[in-house]
Amino acid sequence: MTLVQTEKKQSLSSEGVVQPLKTLENSKVRTEDLNAWYGNNQVLKKLNIEAREHSVTAIIGPSGCGKSTFIRCLNRMHELVPKAKTSGRVILDGSDIYAKGVDPVTIRRRVGMVFQKPNPFPTMSVYDNVAAGLKLNGERNHAVLDRAVQRSLESAFLWDEVKGDLDKSGASLSGGQQQRLCIARALAVEPEVILMDEPCSALDPIATAKIEELIASIKENYTVVIVTHNMQQAARVSDFTAFLYLGQLIEYGETTSLFENPAEELTERYLTGKFG
Amino acid sequence: MSNYSMRRFKDRLALWIGALCAVLAMIPLISILYEVVKNGASTINVDFLTAAPGVIGQAGGGIGPAIQGTLILVGLTIIIGVPLGVLSGIYLSEFGDNPVGRVIRFLNDVLAEFPSVVIGVVIFTLIVLTFRSFSVIAGALALSIIMLPIITRSTEESLKLVPNSIRDASMALGIRRWRTTLSVVLTTARSGVVTGILLAIARVAGESAPLVFTILGSQYFFSGLSSPMDALPLRIYRLALLPYPYAQAQGWGAALVLILMVLVVNIGVRWATRGRLYSRRSRP
Amino acid sequence: MPRLMDIGLEKLRNMVLDMADLSQNTVSTSIDAFVQGRDLRDRIYSWSEELRMLQDEVSELAVELIARYQPVASDLRFIKSCMEVAYGFSRFGRYAHDISDVVGIFGDLSNCDRQTIQEAGSQAKDMIRVSIKAFTERDVELAGRLKKMDDVVDNIYLDFVKKSALEREGNLKCIVSGTLILRYLERIADHATYVGETVPYIVSGERAARK
Repeated sequence: MTLVQTEKKQSLSSEGVVQPLKTLENSKVRTEDLNAWYGNNQVLKKLNIEAREHSVTAIIGPSGCGKSTFIRCLNRMHELVPKAKTSGRVILDGSDIYAKGVDPVTIRRRVGMVFQKPNPFPTMSVYDNVAAGLKLNGERNHAVLDRAVQRSLESAFLWDEVKGDLDKSGASLSGGQQQRLCIARALAVEPEVILMDEPCSALDPIATAKIEELIASIKENYTVVIVTHNMQQAARVSDFTAFLYLGQLIEYGETTSLFENPAEELTERYLTGKFG
Repeated sequence: MSNYSMRRFKDRLALWIGALCAVLAMIPLISILYEVVKNGASTINVDFLTAAPGVIGQAGGGIGPAIQGTLILVGLTIIIGVPLGVLSGIYLSEFGDNPVGRVIRFLNDVLAEFPSVVIGVVIFTLIVLTFRSFSVIAGALALSIIMLPIITRSTEESLKLVPNSIRDASMALGIRRWRTTLSVVLTTARSGVVTGILLAIARVAGESAPLVFTILGSQYFFSGLSSPMDALPLRIYRLALLPYPYAQAQGWGAALVLILMVLVVNIGVRWATRGRLYSRRSRP
Repeated sequence: MPRLMDIGLEKLRNMVLDMADLSQNTVSTSIDAFVQGRDLRDRIYSWSEELRMLQDEVSELAVELIARYQPVASDLRFIKSCMEVAYGFSRFGRYAHDISDVVGIFGDLSNCDRQTIQEAGSQAKDMIRVSIKAFTERDVELAGRLKKMDDVVDNIYLDFVKKSALEREGNLKCIVSGTLILRYLERIADHATYVGETVPYIVSGERAARK
């Protein structure tokens, strides 16, 4: 097995420990030796991954490799599960979000999340859904809310389809529209990072394509981390890709070079469909 | 018979048996409604509904105090029982997955099965005897105790039906836990919670045994929270026992009024909740 | 467990190997024909034509595999290389065609010095053989030898041209035909090195610097 070292790639050194990237400028969020457990079961092992500002970073890997757990650690949602634990640091803009005294709620306002199955609030209208993050955190000014709702729906490529009736129930939209509604809802609170946990896996190809275009357009203003089990989607949408296997980072690098010429044998086998 | 037509036959048979049972189940309800309406409709008039009972043995008078009493009693019971029940239900659903929660849940289930007459006797001993008078407060307390476990259980069940993805979505927006529970989870479950409250009210409005021990009944309109009062179930009971025909007729009338009250509450709140499913924008 | 794409990859590989054999034959035959003074144009033309068609088929199949299976990593590099290699083999056929054309145009060249051409020719034939073997067996080391072999052919060509430039009098037919043929052999050698360069690319993604 020949290892090709390039300065843009991160790969296993001879001791089998992943070395952190040398280029850390414009890193928006990165993890340092992140470990995570559910009870006694360790699902993430010493992860050192970074997501650069205004880029899309994809996390790929076979089922059960810890991808969803990983991004839930980035906005401190992992700890909401009973008996869940983490150790290590997650550095957002230079400060550790797991430091003592940090309020997880403030982190979640800076790091938003979109889930696999669209989950708009069922008893709220489209308007209320998008405004929820602002309203329920105390914003009362209707002009501010109106602007935020329109801006977010436009960014989510949904404004034209719903502007005629913002009062209709969020649950009455189609699957693809609901997912864009959830994205608008996440964008309304103006986070800095958007986490997406397999956002297209419940959608048809056309809805998927719309969301991929959306991702490409929002990355100018946000940092996106997307978990996907669809390798082609990762290849289409992301600038950087991290390959996880059994909770460990196997390889991280620029998407085009990782997909054309992966450094690790395991990555090669996964990408060419020989397992997983 | 071939396999296929045998199965079809069984299918049809099951359908018909089911339909038959449904019809049979409706018969008591329909016959009761029929009897009550037939016997009670003629006594209903404004006088009947607003006047105090007359002299025993003489026709005349009405069930005014009883209607007032039931309304006040149920009102007070709601004020005491609903907040307590809903909050307990919220606690058990959102924060109750631990030993303390399990104990509370168990106790709640036990309380739900308590005979209402026993509760009445307990309140009699604790409140009526202590304060040396039958009172509205005592009645409201007894009815709240009966109502509480019903509301707790139905609130908890309704909240548990809200999928976790909704809570996740709200938490991920950076909304605090208590706000998530109240503004997102509770509003999503509200029709279930309201239904539970309605059922509890209907149940409690018709209880008569505990009322005997707590409010006693009276001829007069409401005269203070610490005095006895009349209520429809009691009035119906008393009227039914009197040997006079006018009393029997009035009893049927009172029964009709009670049933109508429960129906109106039921339908009214359902209508109000249904309107909310397609919510309005919260803008003036 | 074989993947769906493997059937297509196998077919692609076989097509390329068929082209390899055919082009090797075609070039050998054209060189030998020149050296022996025989006119085998018809045969060479039809083989060259067949190589052109095979190259189109390889191209089509490669594009189909890409569209259908969205291959990545080594699969993608292999498919890309097959397209390049097939082009190279079709060029072998073309140059063989051109070499045999020289015989046709110039007629009798029996009193020209065929020594140089024979030397360059056998080197070129060797290079074709080595490049095909390296590609078939994915032998990076073997492929590495082609650079030096290419230099030999380049030098033979350049020396002949320089010598001819300084000649005051010489047989024009011999000089022009010799230059043309050596030029074709030099191009064949170049394409053989390109075929060799695909081997490290398939194996580990390394790309050689173009000179």
